[in-house]
Amino acid sequence: MQVNRPKMVAGMVACLAAAAVLHGTMIFPFWRKNYAVKQVAGEQASGLSADQLLFALAGFRELVAGILWVRADSFFDEGNYDAILPIIRLVTWLDPHEIDVYATGMWHIGYNFTDEESRSDRRYIPSALALGKEGSAANPNTYELFFETGWMWYHKVDDDYDQAVKWWEQAAKRDDIQPARRNILASAYLRDGQPEKALGLYYDLLSRAESAFKKSDEFQNRQNRDTVESNMDNLLVRMSQRGYFAQKAGHFDQGDYDTKPPFDVGFSARVTVEEAAVLKIEGTWNVLPVGTRVRIVLRDKDMKGAKYAEMDWDASNAVNLDPDKEVTFMQDQLFVKNQQFTKRIDMSRDRTMYPFRSNDYVVEFYYNPRSAPAHIQDKFGFSGEGMTDQNFLNEEARPGQRVVYTKLEFTKDELLRKGRYAVGKEIPDKQTVNFKPLGAASKSDVIQVPGLRAEGPRTGPPTGAPAQKPKRLPIPGGGAMGRGPVAPGVQMNPK
Amino acid sequence: MNAIVSIAKTTVGEAIRRRVLLVILLIGVLFLVVAPGLSVLTARQSYTVLTSFTLGVIQLTSAVIAIVLTVYLIPNEIERRTIYTILSKPVQRWQFLVGKFLGAVAALALMMTLMTVTMGLVFMIMRQGSGMEALGGLFRVPLMFFVQMSLLAAVAVFFSTFVSPIVNFFLSGGVYLVGTFFNPLFDTFSKNENLPAIVKGSATIIHMIVPNFANFNVQNQVINPGAVITNEATYYLQLVAYAVFYVLVFLIGGILVFDRREV
Amino acid sequence: MSLAIETRNLFKTYKSRGGQSINVVHDLNLQVERGEIFGFLGPNGAGKTTTIKILLGIIYQTTGEAFVLDKEAGDIEAHRKLSYLPEKPYYYEHMTGLEIMEFYASLFGIKDRALCERLLERVNLANDKNRAISQYSKGMQQRVGLAQSLLNEPELIFLDEPTGGLDPIAHIEVRDLILQFREEGKTVFISSHELSDVERICDRVAIINKGEVVQQGSLDQLLAGGRLEVTASGVDQGFADALKKDDYVVSFSGDRLILDMPDDGDVNSVLEGVLAKKGTVVSVVPRRKRLEDLFLESVASDNVAKGRRLFKMTDKDAPQAEEKA
Repeated sequence: MQVNRPKMVAGMVACLAAAAVLHGTMIFPFWRKNYAVKQVAGEQASGLSADQLLFALAGFRELVAGILWVRADSFFDEGNYDAILPIIRLVTWLDPHEIDVYATGMWHIGYNFTDEESRSDRRYIPSALALGKEGSAANPNTYELFFETGWMWYHKVDDDYDQAVKWWEQAAKRDDIQPARRNILASAYLRDGQPEKALGLYYDLLSRAESAFKKSDEFQNRQNRDTVESNMDNLLVRMSQRGYFAQKAGHFDQGDYDTKPPFDVGFSARVTVEEAAVLKIEGTWNVLPVGTRVRIVLRDKDMKGAKYAEMDWDASNAVNLDPDKEVTFMQDQLFVKNQQFTKRIDMSRDRTMYPFRSNDYVVEFYYNPRSAPAHIQDKFGFSGEGMTDQNFLNEEARPGQRVVYTKLEFTKDELLRKGRYAVGKEIPDKQTVNFKPLGAASKSDVIQVPGLRAEGPRTGPPTGAPAQKPKRLPIPGGGAMGRGPVAPGVQMNPK
Repeated sequence: MNAIVSIAKTTVGEAIRRRVLLVILLIGVLFLVVAPGLSVLTARQSYTVLTSFTLGVIQLTSAVIAIVLTVYLIPNEIERRTIYTILSKPVQRWQFLVGKFLGAVAALALMMTLMTVTMGLVFMIMRQGSGMEALGGLFRVPLMFFVQMSLLAAVAVFFSTFVSPIVNFFLSGGVYLVGTFFNPLFDTFSKNENLPAIVKGSATIIHMIVPNFANFNVQNQVINPGAVITNEATYYLQLVAYAVFYVLVFLIGGILVFDRREV
Repeated sequence: MSLAIETRNLFKTYKSRGGQSINVVHDLNLQVERGEIFGFLGPNGAGKTTTIKILLGIIYQTTGEAFVLDKEAGDIEAHRKLSYLPEKPYYYEHMTGLEIMEFYASLFGIKDRALCERLLERVNLANDKNRAISQYSKGMQQRVGLAQSLLNEPELIFLDEPTGGLDPIAHIEVRDLILQFREEGKTVFISSHELSDVERICDRVAIINKGEVVQQGSLDQLLAGGRLEVTASGVDQGFADALKKDDYVVSFSGDRLILDMPDDGDVNSVLEGVLAKKGTVVSVVPRRKRLEDLFLESVASDNVAKGRRLFKMTDKDAPQAEEKA
């Protein structure tokens, strides 16, 4: 025998140790940072067949991702949404640079899970947002997923606008963003109550648009420049008429502004449990035209992470395709028509979405003027300073904002019509202190809320006028203000 | 040294005449040639898919070749009794084993070069001369694959000193898969805070001992040009050192077994 | 001068599936002198190839010692001075005769194409040196094997069935080659079934059976115990009767007396007696024992006892073998 075995074993161990040290201290950290797939298969890998998994691991990740996504498309066509979820998870795991899949996946998770009456299952939204966080982290060099995540906050959550601002600011920092998509950040600033930032952005966008237009006078560049200019004009007028500048300068009390005096919306509501898990909601809202939406939420009273009329949308950093199905959380809108709203909410047919496991529930009502259309905000102001409610004005729900908020409590027996509330016995029926049977509210007292005018704010509302149909102001035309959309006149009925 | 080189040379000569290997190689090359046709899968990311697929074909083909080539190295010599004439010459067993391994690696290099050149041609035709400078970056991926496959060959050589070729095929293939899996697996594992320390500790130890083949898969960045990686060259050098250490581990292990082996 | 090969109490034991130990080589003691041609004989499965493999360090003994050219078996230094031609050798078939020679030469660190060509010429393969081994006949492959075994001018050559499967002419060529080795002073260790070859070539033999040496020694010694046939004329029956004793067999063929006697008998006194009787000594012919006889004596007994007759035996030989057993 020619080899020195002990020495060779020692050499072997030394090499192993050297490899382990090299791997542990340098290679693996580098690998983890630069080459690792950020989210790892785990249980999701079970959705792959063995050969697909093998292929995926053998270096065909992107190819398998592509094939899977083609398959997902056919599931979309069939409406087989549940089948798509794991595919989205897998595709983004296999190829974290499939931006389209992240974007579509977010939209799909956030919007497509609904009950029979097309109410979204909002328990999925934290996961949709988590997918956006993951996708944007994996693709930090492109604006797209920052934009998409911002959009989900802005449009789907439609509250907590500071989040939309945060994401869109990130999107705007990326060079590949389309110029027109920068504009939308201004809307987020406005909804977040930061008109000055919106204005600053418009100035910046205008100079960009003008230099682009100078470089090339194609139609698109002209259109973009004109849009920015018009938006800026509108904003300046609004800031002025809503008294924003006056507030800043400290002479708000002296002038005549659209947001003065605060307008009482006169909210009242009543909830009747007509059948098990079927609610009838009725109530009042003194703003005349169609278009006001009051949020209603029904949820477990002790729900984890619950806030005023919303949940903690930002709670999750991991995409969880199977959110807590024990929780009941229903959110809907009440549409105001003729100063009233009535709505029947049927949760009886979707018991997976509304499991009613808890014993106690709250029904919340919430109105945030920041979500209102611009012409309503012309009266209510950027943060609700032009709005009030005798009973339910709330300044805690959203710090720095004036919103309308109240809640009614129910038990499981009441909602499901059990025990003493069984069908044929007592009908559960709760209402706000000020609720009066509908029809009693007068439609006669109408105030005019001004639209945008070149000549400045109009003076006080006409009062005591006889019952009349809401009047619309002629839309003023001409001048710089003539460009762009102009809000129609709005009529309000003071209490 | 002479003996090692001679044995390596004959091993290459044999390998490039092995029909099985040539068939596998041919299939790989065919896939590379038809690869551009697959870009219909996702129009927007055609470049990504093409690159990913092409590199994947090279990697998979190379892995199969590396294993098939290596598992028969020693058993064939014993079965044909060529080993008797060689070992009755002044050739030490370790020289024989090292010569065989180096021959396998050289044959692998030849075959991988062929595939890489094919890939280069396909890309040249696809892009018709434009963006060729980006192509330069592409070739470091097969280079790292080659380092990876050399390590895989060492694993197979080690096993071939004591198990039959069929068993070895699955064993080496298994080590390759586990080694590819383990990095990402450990990655998730180590992030899980609920695990007891002992489990975590032993996972760390296993992670340090298993040859982690995933380290060599550096294609992400080539496929997705968005990723910015600094100090890549250093990383590649570390990888080579890492592979050399492991090759030594497996070769020494192989020699220790083979030296006692009755052939 | 020291021995070329020596084994002391060599054992090679395998475990069978049933857990029994099988001694393939059992307490083997061999002594091969330098410069001699040594025949290593035994039936199939007797442990010949196993012993050679141990001597070459291809496998390892279980216990005991084995020395080759004064080094422990398997020693690399010893390998420089020996060569081995396995039974039914196989080569890398894609290589040509010359390439395979150069390959083996390189294993010795020899870079000498002329030497390779010369050796191929010596085994009559000069014209085929550039053909692939895969196109060689069996005999040609065997000759390549012989040629490669000469590359290092070996002091000791192991030949495992060197003439097996060769046609008669190749057979004679190989035999002559081996005889040349003796003249060159090489030690040759031949394992073979070809008893006639061995008898003609070898100086000494060892016969093993079931892993044990049953006979070892020079052919002269081993084949001693032959007979003498003395033919004489002009002697009478009385003389003949006087000769009859022990195993002295006397017969008449016509008027000729034929005496069959052991070769260690007192042949001189017999001849003197014939001369004294005025008879004529026609011939004295020694009838040496054949190797085949010895081989059968050594190995058949055991096999016959087990009812297995592995070797074809003449009617005359069979009872003889059994008697001796």
